[in-house]
Amino acid sequence: MKLLEVEHLITELGEGENWLRAVNDISLTVETGQTYCLVGESGSGKSVTALSIMGLLPHGHYRHPAGQIRLSDPQGKSAEVEMLHADEETLRSVRGSRIAMIFQEPMTSLNPVQTIGEQLDEVLQIHRPQLDEQARKQRILAVLEEVRIPEPESRIREFPHRLSGGQRQRVMIAMALICEPALLIADEPTTALDVTVQAEILKLMRELQTKYGMGMLFITHDFGVVAQIADVVGVMRKGVIVESGSTADVLRNPQHEYTQSLIAALPERLPRPERPAKTDKVLLEVKDVSVYFPVRRGLMRRVVDHFHAVDKVSLQVNAGEVVALVGESGCGKTTLGRALLKLQEVTSGSIFLEGQDITQLSAKAMRPLRRRMQVVFQDPGSSLNPRLPIHTTLIEPMRVHGIGNSDAERTQIAARFLDRVEMPTDSLWRYPHEFSGGQRQRLAIARALVLEPRFILCDEITSALDVSVQAGILRLLRQLVDEEGIGMLFITHNMGVVDYLADRMVVMHKAQLVESGNTQQIMKSPQNEHTRNLLNAVPRLDDKYLASAI
Amino acid sequence: MTEQVVDIPVKQPSKSWTQQVVSSLLKRTSAKIGLAWIGLLVLIATFSPFLASSHPLYMLVDGQASSPLLQHMAPLDWIWLSGFFITLVISALSLVAWKKILLWLASIAVVSFIAYSTVSPPLLVVYEHYREMETAGKVEKVIRAPIPYSAKDYLRDFADTGIESPLSAQNRTHLMGTDENGADVASRMIHASRIALGIGFIATGIALVIGTIIGGLMGYFSGIVDIIGMRLVEIFEAIPTLFLLLSFVAFFGRSIYMMMVIIGITAWSGYARYVRAEFLKLRQQDFVQAAVASGLPLRSILFRHMLPNGLAPLLVATSFGVASAILAEATLSFLGLGLVDDPSWGQLLNQAVQSSTFNWWLAVFPGGAIFMTVFAYNLLGESLRDAVDPHTSRGMQS
Repeated sequence: MKLLEVEHLITELGEGENWLRAVNDISLTVETGQTYCLVGESGSGKSVTALSIMGLLPHGHYRHPAGQIRLSDPQGKSAEVEMLHADEETLRSVRGSRIAMIFQEPMTSLNPVQTIGEQLDEVLQIHRPQLDEQARKQRILAVLEEVRIPEPESRIREFPHRLSGGQRQRVMIAMALICEPALLIADEPTTALDVTVQAEILKLMRELQTKYGMGMLFITHDFGVVAQIADVVGVMRKGVIVESGSTADVLRNPQHEYTQSLIAALPERLPRPERPAKTDKVLLEVKDVSVYFPVRRGLMRRVVDHFHAVDKVSLQVNAGEVVALVGESGCGKTTLGRALLKLQEVTSGSIFLEGQDITQLSAKAMRPLRRRMQVVFQDPGSSLNPRLPIHTTLIEPMRVHGIGNSDAERTQIAARFLDRVEMPTDSLWRYPHEFSGGQRQRLAIARALVLEPRFILCDEITSALDVSVQAGILRLLRQLVDEEGIGMLFITHNMGVVDYLADRMVVMHKAQLVESGNTQQIMKSPQNEHTRNLLNAVPRLDDKYLASAI
Repeated sequence: MTEQVVDIPVKQPSKSWTQQVVSSLLKRTSAKIGLAWIGLLVLIATFSPFLASSHPLYMLVDGQASSPLLQHMAPLDWIWLSGFFITLVISALSLVAWKKILLWLASIAVVSFIAYSTVSPPLLVVYEHYREMETAGKVEKVIRAPIPYSAKDYLRDFADTGIESPLSAQNRTHLMGTDENGADVASRMIHASRIALGIGFIATGIALVIGTIIGGLMGYFSGIVDIIGMRLVEIFEAIPTLFLLLSFVAFFGRSIYMMMVIIGITAWSGYARYVRAEFLKLRQQDFVQAAVASGLPLRSILFRHMLPNGLAPLLVATSFGVASAILAEATLSFLGLGLVDDPSWGQLLNQAVQSSTFNWWLAVFPGGAIFMTVFAYNLLGESLRDAVDPHTSRGMQS
């Protein structure tokens, strides 16, 4: 039964004379009990489509030159609504009760100054005015029970900041479900969550959907999620649905070349180049490193306890080798990375760089050694100084470390490394805001490379990027490691990336190292329970999976 | 090392952040109005001796040509004039910002030294002298300033002058009337623009320097430095500036420089808070961490990588700070505790309510000038805030 029909929808954003066509003539149908998955890279118009359906685009900054969005009621209780031309009153009664929406960022989608209970109660007060206070409370408890919030009785009196990201997203789902809507729109609801939490949330959404017979429009950029949740999938690019069909068909046998290229760019499906023979030269060795943060209380700021961020972790990285450091958020992997670079004081243990103990070195003594170990960070938005042209960003560290005799020579070296990371040399005179996320990460890699380091730490450097861009960066990193013999510690939570890039992997859980060894071995037969959880949480769309699972 | 020669295309650097902010600032009407008024004030302040003076610019007496105006120019007049042209020249030079600022400060210092050591105008000034010579018919040719009255020319030669409404006097034109001492209001207002500008810039400059240094240290080192710094900030925030000014005036007499310093050293706490917050945020940013990881010296991390990125809210606060410093001086003068003889807008306002009748020209003109100046700085601050904020829709379009 058809629930939502979008026909030839065009959405343009802008104002005055400047209009940008974000959604260009798309049609899709969501049926009851079905999940329609819109998948695409950033900027493809998938979120704009969802907001067009809800009528939530910024007032006065959008227009629909053509198209229809029809929401019908499968039970025939209420009339069909044409969403694009409905007045605000109708839309308000539809939103929340017949269509509900879940957003991406659980940290900001709940009101921080109201308790969970109050926020859920408000939805009921508006859309179910016939219920009295007692009935509303019953309904709230029931729905929280349903999304598996433990102890809902006490939870409804708590404020959002007391809940974890996963729990907040569960509350958001509860809020969406509380009026039993016919259609649920979910805009990347699991992107901000850990992989294991993501798996639980997806499972929950699937169950609830079957129970209520809801239609679901699910927006994501992740083909792993698509494989887990979608019945029908539509692939979007530049505002157009280039391919749609049942999930199994599209994933196993993509027809459009864009879909093919997207699936081929998944790290687990990238071709593996021949690897040079490995050396056993130990580059970086970490012995029993712990990082504790003091917990201070009271007027005198007494230290009452220690928070163990990293607890007795040992690992080593050889030259010409990529070691992946894997773990959920909050497990201490970033803190360990910062400790290795001496950006963070180590509580105990020792760190050896090429046999030299650098644990107790002062900041001054450390400075000349810094050129041997470099870092690339996660967020492309903040990894480069926005006020300096790329030229200055690259030249300054070289000057400090005495690489090159003159600025002209350093410019040549910088240009060579830009070439190495496949960026045009005229990038030197540009500012960071002129580059895309992937390009900025390449520039950040170039900044690390100009110092000719022996060791590079990469902290989730591809997790904010689209898959096709990620594929390019991963290939580049692999090349660098193989050709220059650099040792690399790659922090990530993406198992596909680990599989492609890493020779060895170490798994962290709650500040401790739980498993380490050869990547292939661990992938095949994980010994530790947490490793197994991580591996099971996200299906990797390799051939084996496609052949069997969907 | 250089066997591989790479051709680097010679290309103009694309727009830097500063250029973007300036160009998007100039697109705003409110910013244009604000800048236009401030620019006008700067021109008036610089050329005030040529705009309003009882000394003729050029005079031919008994076949002898002279320029009493140039002879009577005070060292401060020369400093303003040369400062104006030095600013023009330096802003045309292509230098790094901090070098420009240093060069500017150095040239002003040199000019002040030269001016105070060489220029000595006659101590006794008799303004009536020129008018008497003219009525006696001794003067063959004379060129006067557009407003031929000095700020302190109390027209003693015209017997019982006092408060006169605009254009009411015979034989004399006073566009904005005269004040209770008989001085020309338009002239006093022109000369007072210097005090308004000077107190705004110098007091805010002092506050800015102290605030940036203390705030920067608090933000970068945090911990115990931050705790001590914040207590210091709280102490200074607890000082009521106006009452401190009043008591200093009561004890040490009236001095414009003392006012500037006192306003400066009590107003820095706001700037320190801004800089601290920005530095705390920036310290965790990836590019700062990467700079540390590249082994860059602390000096470079603080001044090259952190300070320019934390300046935006400071700029906005500065323009509001200038406005409030001007208001503080006007308030003090209005209360009758400002400068004694030197012209000031607040002092003129004070006279408007002092006499038994309400003299509208003494309220409207200086009041309007104070309002317009404070308003101009606020407009500029508002537009700056929009221009540096990437979240406003038209913020970075250029």
